[in-house]
Amino acid sequence: MSLFGALDISASGLTAERLRMNVTAENLANAQTTRGANGQPYRRKEVILSEVATGGGFGATLASAMGGGRAQFSRPGGVEVAGIVEDASNFKTVYDPGHPDADAKGYVKMPNVDTVTEMVDLISASRSYEANVTAMQAAKQMFTKTLDLLR
Amino acid sequence: VLFDTTQLALQGVISGAAKRHEALASNLANANTPGYQRVDVDFHGQLAAAMGRGAGAASALEGMSFTPTRDTSAGAVQADGSTVDADSESAKLAENALEQQAAVQVAAARIAILKSAMGTA
Repeated sequence: MSLFGALDISASGLTAERLRMNVTAENLANAQTTRGANGQPYRRKEVILSEVATGGGFGATLASAMGGGRAQFSRPGGVEVAGIVEDASNFKTVYDPGHPDADAKGYVKMPNVDTVTEMVDLISASRSYEANVTAMQAAKQMFTKTLDLLR
Repeated sequence: VLFDTTQLALQGVISGAAKRHEALASNLANANTPGYQRVDVDFHGQLAAAMGRGAGAASALEGMSFTPTRDTSAGAVQADGSTVDADSESAKLAENALEQQAAVQVAAARIAILKSAMGTA
């Protein structure tokens, strides 16, 4: 049943947007972190999304194995996370001689996190999440109505 | 008479709309994928072509399956080259869901008529 496929697609969108939200939250939480894992200031992280390569899956494999006359068409597969990459842009330098991580001239390297950018990303992720929820609700409604034909 | 062209066309609308919903949901899921090109299912065009075949309409409708295609006519609407406009996708999604429900309601009415003719209603 193709509507279950629609639910999977929307679910993949929910997963992707939730991960974007998590990464944005991590960036915001570390906006002032001067000591990251490698001793350097924290680097801003970014999620790279990519389209799922349209492939068979169980239903398509079964259909082609059964040798039905109909050609198996590719179907939209949703979205997946290609990876989380670090933003290579330069660290911000702030003059703060009293800071324990300040260099000889009194400058401190701060993370390359811009809180305004992160807030915008957060809004974008949250709205996209809602859009996927709406699509999921529509699919559910369509499926229920079709099922009601049997009553 | 049970499976005349009208019933087959309704079936086509229901399954076509389901496929189109999949395509539109995929567009929304990929709203933040750089360079993504939107997909769509033109089941209206396919159904219209099948219905226009006169006597061969029923068999054309029966063997019908719907394919999602890349919408190459859409221009980029996002800075990353993506052709997905989340607002227009949501509007299309809502419209498509309503269309499917309308077809389901007509199909339900036809089934109710058949049932009452059989005296089982």
